[in-house]
Amino acid sequence: MATVIARPSIPPMEFPAPNELDRADLLGMRIGVPIRVPLLARFGMSTQTGVIWLGTWGVLSTFFFVAGLAVLTFAGLQQMQGNLPLLIKYFANVQIQPPEGLGMAPSLQQGGFWQINMILWAASVTCWAFRCYERCVRFSWRPYLFFAYCAAILLTATIWLYRPLVMGSWAEAPALGLNSDLDWAQNFSVLWGNLYYNPWHMLAIFFLFGSTMLWGMHGATILATAAEGSHQEVAEIKDMHSGSHKSMLFWRWTMGFNANPKTIHDWLYWFSVGVVLSSAIGIIATGPIVKDWYVWGVDHGWVQQYGPITRSAINGSPQIAPVGINAPAQQGVPKGQGGY
Amino acid sequence: MLSFEGVYRKRGGTFLADVLGDDPLDFWAGRFYVGVFGVVTISATILGILIIALSIAAQGDGDLARVTIGAPLRQYGLGFAPFYQGGNWELIILFATIAFVSWALREVEICRKLDMGYHVPIMFSFAISAFVVLEIIRPLLLGCWCEGFDLGFTGHLTWVSNTGFKYMNFYLNPFHAYGVLGFFLTAMVLAMHGSAILGTYNTNADPSVETANVDNFWRDYIGYSIGELGIHVLGFWLAIYTLIMSDLCILTSGPWVKDWVQFWHFSIPWFH
Repeated sequence: MATVIARPSIPPMEFPAPNELDRADLLGMRIGVPIRVPLLARFGMSTQTGVIWLGTWGVLSTFFFVAGLAVLTFAGLQQMQGNLPLLIKYFANVQIQPPEGLGMAPSLQQGGFWQINMILWAASVTCWAFRCYERCVRFSWRPYLFFAYCAAILLTATIWLYRPLVMGSWAEAPALGLNSDLDWAQNFSVLWGNLYYNPWHMLAIFFLFGSTMLWGMHGATILATAAEGSHQEVAEIKDMHSGSHKSMLFWRWTMGFNANPKTIHDWLYWFSVGVVLSSAIGIIATGPIVKDWYVWGVDHGWVQQYGPITRSAINGSPQIAPVGINAPAQQGVPKGQGGY
Repeated sequence: MLSFEGVYRKRGGTFLADVLGDDPLDFWAGRFYVGVFGVVTISATILGILIIALSIAAQGDGDLARVTIGAPLRQYGLGFAPFYQGGNWELIILFATIAFVSWALREVEICRKLDMGYHVPIMFSFAISAFVVLEIIRPLLLGCWCEGFDLGFTGHLTWVSNTGFKYMNFYLNPFHAYGVLGFFLTAMVLAMHGSAILGTYNTNADPSVETANVDNFWRDYIGYSIGELGIHVLGFWLAIYTLIMSDLCILTSGPWVKDWVQFWHFSIPWFH
């Protein structure tokens, strides 16, 4: 007979004692007092907020981040002639544009603010990655979180740094700002022949929607069996009780496959990391390798050719075939003519 | 069978047992639980796949990536279209909806058998709502099945692209933006949760020490640890938030808003 008892709940542990790593850190200390927010208990969340670790890397990262915000605000104010209410009103429209070419920007307004900001951003996320690694070591974690954070940095660095470097102009990167960010995404897709036909974009969206689906499945499964302690996952991996049994059997009976308390987190981790890794590949391939994803898709036989215009238009030919709603689709266009 | 599975496999607690007093479909087929809703699901799925196979055969394109089963033409409105001109699409949507809903009800039966909460079928219902809004409710509001989503690998990509441009700039749709935010947030929180568990399991420490380790890590790192139960509450509601925003995103485009660029050209009197 298997174990069918629910897991007893685990009492909270006391504060961690300082160790060598903490003492070696110049600014290594915890600040603040833990503040209890009893309301959070109603949502099943921990009531203790606070006592954050300072740490040299954390302080540096925060400094660069605040400096970047200050530069952004200053640049935005300058765009609005120093009028603060105007800046608040048109906050979404503020654009800090990157300069043309790969050199220094000619002035602060023509890309200098953007360059300063990107340097501060790079410094901030790098310091935060060091902080993440340093905390992983302090708590003897396997550095999964550090690698996931590095993957996220890789994607942003691909958009703002690597791809502009390969393309030869900082102007390839998005301007900083709410609407300019959205506009860049829209224009990027249109400019490179519809990003929907980029297989890495497809894969990234698969992982992205899959991440939401996995959170739906995992979160719901655990909440449904939390009365029997399935949410105490680290302990359940070591020694399973009825809550985890039910979580596993639910999916086994529903779809014929189930993970277990350990392997479900492999799925979660690699789906979320897959989002940024495949996005980074899709971004760096767009422009340097493939000029037009629609034509690429047609050439590789997985996209229908909707009318005769595309190839000649993409290749810059002045002769564009007459287009009409009844124009017959051009058949038998030789492969490899797709402008890349 | 898993080693502990026999303890949990028991008859009873199903819809048919409640109504008829006995459920002849209350059994397992291999790993799968069957039940009356399992039979409905598999029947609707087989019918749907049959229609898809007929449509693919009729299109005569051997490349499955290019095959598209489009929604009916505008001239058919909300009526039945001839089979190969969108009637197949209408039937596939009908059978898919039946299959999804009965799958959710089958999940309810399994939840009852295992004596657990109904969170998974509730979550799945939100996922179904995204499909129903896209394929049924929005076409109904716009008065034409032609507004439905084309079925097919690259065909559906083309539909998404075209629909985005039809409303000028879908990135300026606020529900689209909130939905994308939800998708990226779920991915980020998922990575954080997965890292926390994979980073700390089986470290040969006492389980309570491992748990406290996770809590104290997050307090050190970002100033707050949401807790073992709380992280799943957060993930659950983030996923529901994302699905609701996806529903609103496509539902508002067409019935209420024709142009997402123009949508922002309003002025608030007291804001001048």
